[in-house]
Amino acid sequence: MNLQECYEALGGDFEDVLSRLRSEKLVQKFVLKFLNDKSFDLLCSSLEEENYEEAFRASHTIKGVCQNLSFTRLYESSHALTEALRSGWSQEAAGLTERVKSDYEQTAAAIREFQKGLEG
Amino acid sequence: MKNRITRFLAVSAVEILTLCVAVFLFLAFYMNRRSTETITEVGTIYMTGMNERISMHFQTTIEMRLMQVEELVQECPPQGGDEDREELAYSAKARGFNHLAACSQDGGFEMFFGSPVKVTDPEPFLESLRNNEKKIAVGTDEEGNPLILMAVPASYRMANGQESKALVAGLSVDYIKDILSLDANNTLVYSHIIRKDGSFVIRSAGAFRDTYFNRIRELFKEAQAQGAEGYVDALRSAMEDNRDYSSIINMGAEHRHMYCAKLPYSEWYLVTIMPYGTLDTTVSHLNRQWGYMAVGSCSLVLAVLLLVFLRYFQLNKQQLRALEDARREAVAANKAKSEFLSNMSHDIRTPMNAIVGMTAIASANLEDGDRVRGCLRKITMSSKHLLGLINDVLDMSKIESGKMTLSMEQVSLREVMDSIVNIVQPQVKAKNQQFEVQIYDILAENVYCDSVRLNQVLLNLLSNAIKFTPEGGKINIAMYQEESPLGEKHVRNHIVVEDTGIGMSEEFRKKVFESFVREDNARVNKTEGTGLGMAITKYIVDAMKGAIAVESEKGKGTRFHVSLDMEKAEVEEVDMILPDWNMLVVDDDQLLCESTVASLQEIGIKAEWTQDGESALEMVKQRHREHRDYQIILLDWKLPGIDGIETARRINRVLKGDIPIILISAYDWNDIEKEAKEAGIGGFISKPLFKSTLFYGLRQHMGWNEKAAEDTVNQEGQLGGYRVLLAEDNELNWEIASELLSAEGLKLDWAEDGRACVDKFARSQPGYYNAILMDIRMPVMTGYEATQEIRALDRPDRDIPIIAMTADAFAEDVKKCLDCGMNAHISKPIDVREVARLLDKFIHSK
Repeated sequence: MNLQECYEALGGDFEDVLSRLRSEKLVQKFVLKFLNDKSFDLLCSSLEEENYEEAFRASHTIKGVCQNLSFTRLYESSHALTEALRSGWSQEAAGLTERVKSDYEQTAAAIREFQKGLEG
Repeated sequence: MKNRITRFLAVSAVEILTLCVAVFLFLAFYMNRRSTETITEVGTIYMTGMNERISMHFQTTIEMRLMQVEELVQECPPQGGDEDREELAYSAKARGFNHLAACSQDGGFEMFFGSPVKVTDPEPFLESLRNNEKKIAVGTDEEGNPLILMAVPASYRMANGQESKALVAGLSVDYIKDILSLDANNTLVYSHIIRKDGSFVIRSAGAFRDTYFNRIRELFKEAQAQGAEGYVDALRSAMEDNRDYSSIINMGAEHRHMYCAKLPYSEWYLVTIMPYGTLDTTVSHLNRQWGYMAVGSCSLVLAVLLLVFLRYFQLNKQQLRALEDARREAVAANKAKSEFLSNMSHDIRTPMNAIVGMTAIASANLEDGDRVRGCLRKITMSSKHLLGLINDVLDMSKIESGKMTLSMEQVSLREVMDSIVNIVQPQVKAKNQQFEVQIYDILAENVYCDSVRLNQVLLNLLSNAIKFTPEGGKINIAMYQEESPLGEKHVRNHIVVEDTGIGMSEEFRKKVFESFVREDNARVNKTEGTGLGMAITKYIVDAMKGAIAVESEKGKGTRFHVSLDMEKAEVEEVDMILPDWNMLVVDDDQLLCESTVASLQEIGIKAEWTQDGESALEMVKQRHREHRDYQIILLDWKLPGIDGIETARRINRVLKGDIPIILISAYDWNDIEKEAKEAGIGGFISKPLFKSTLFYGLRQHMGWNEKAAEDTVNQEGQLGGYRVLLAEDNELNWEIASELLSAEGLKLDWAEDGRACVDKFARSQPGYYNAILMDIRMPVMTGYEATQEIRALDRPDRDIPIIAMTADAFAEDVKKCLDCGMNAHISKPIDVREVARLLDKFIHSK
């Protein structure tokens, strides 16, 4: 699985990210780093603690990272969640949280797959 | 409604007037009657009192006189000698008597002094003497003058030897009259003394009849009144019964009050009469005054009331009229608004059509990248316009309430004109109209202006021109500049939009700038539109402190002239210099040729111009023969005679394609590209021809790479060495930004949140950082707070450029960033070119 296929799998825009970061190596470096980003854990934990302000910020950060990496699918769901959390908990936030979680899992899975390919 | 109110007012006015008159009349009559009654009553009381007083006075006087006579008797009691007489006479004289006598039983008088007297009616007198009573009586002296005689019983020896029965003293009647004021002229009241049979004892006030009864009868006769006998009888019977008698005698119009009372020591009666004449005059005078006052005040009240009613009526009428006007206006406004709603679709549909059409073209030409890009560009432009239009419709209330504000920014007139031309091209093409853009005498391409609003003005004018010009008509937009009266920093822009359309009527021309109006005739109704365009245009031009004028003639066309003063933007103009090549400009518009040639000279090109294809061909041939060919030829597409493409074909035949020929046109290049390329045309420059348009357009054809050149101008080398502090809480984002920006030559320091950012900046040497890139959503301290803290620091470089970099891109987020003191806002994902452009702008502007 190459990087472009990985992007297809996680619902991202490879051309877009390439046009901005300019080199595939750079894209690869950052994509792999995405797995180490703690924002998602922070989102999950703060939601459990019902600290919605922190959750909003975490979701916002995920959205920002996704924008930079052109992870379009996760960007869309995290963007929606950010708006749902902007003024505290709202009804649609529950459903959106699930969407973000599933999108994140897909994204992370795709990247892990890609990582495995590199190592293997 | 109106009639009802008028009738109500009239009826109530009449009713109140009537009531008023009635009340006043009643008051006047009643008071009149009452005062007459009161006066009569007062008269009666007064008369009774008066009469009593007179009787009392008479009685007292008579008693006093009688007492004096008694005193005479006591002082000189009868002694039988003659010496008594002397003394009596002396004492009597001292008491003011005129006569003194002794009276015998048979009525013989012996005078002690004074002339001899005679009793007028001796019988009752003697009767009283015989009874030894005091008595008064009337008598006469020897000359016939009336006298009052007072007798007191006394026995003196008389000359004839008889014993006298009484001492009699005499007084002139005038004395009584004086004492009783019976004959006084200065009172209204006069009195008589009469006997029972009505004969006068003392008469006054010119009474000359023999009896008082006859006098009454005569008076009645004189006044031609009836009923004299009744009064006479009543008076007579009252005297018989020794009663006091009081009565009002009515003699026709005249009233008299009569009072009759018995006088003591006599058989006389005092009759007192008071004529009411004077009183009546006084009373009637009072009544008349009363009447006048009543009528006067009644009229005054009526007048005031009438005035109030009239004024009220007037006000009412005004109010009704105002109400009616307001109603009519409301109805008209309502109608206009509903018409507006039904018509609104057009202006929204115009750019929508462009979007739909361009999308279709793009889908049909997917493999042709340039074409698709062109389509997308136009789609973007149209979408922007559509959005703007929707905003306008929504903002109309804002505009109408005068709350629209302008956001001034640096604007390139070239870009404005380019985008306008691009937007209207499809419409012009659809209606097969001739479209011309003229730009000349441009002093400053970059100015400060609200580009959105300026675009709106131009679009409104142009789309109206297109809308109201039939197929094949001509539409022309011209822009030129001149010195502004506001000074050197400003420039006056003239924009003229002309068409050969249907024009407007004189009446409509006057209200063309009002909201929701459009000329009401069949031809116009077929044309769609919001009816807001010109109102918005006028409003914007006013807000920009400009002027807009319109000339129009029905059937001939319309000409809008907008003039706006704009501040020149101070841009470091890129040195626009090209090699000193020889060029030929071919366009049918002389003004455009001259202006273009002037612009070309400014960028170092020597140019000649001509107005048609044939002469151009001749000039090219001429030059070719002289072996000094033009190095580049600008050729208008639409030319009189042979058109641009045909001219190009012929020139190429002569020059064998050695020289680049560039087409200039306000029409869409895509439509003619294929044909043009076949004719050997090397490129295209879209009108309007600003200096920069010419520069960038021509530069490509001189072997320069435009993009590379632009990049050079904008970025490379200029950002190198700048140190930028980047506040970003997410490590991954930081790494990406760091990677990308370092590649541009920036040195980056990382602050992991707002607090760290403030601390790092505060600890640094002033001037160490050139700029700060600030994330907004960070733990510990947000970007907003951090910016505010930095701005509040006591450092010379606290105004360091701070650019927000965040995933939020809403307008209010941008606004909040700017409100917090940031210089600009970039939304993620990081676009290196945008970051570089902003950093460059702010660092350099410092």
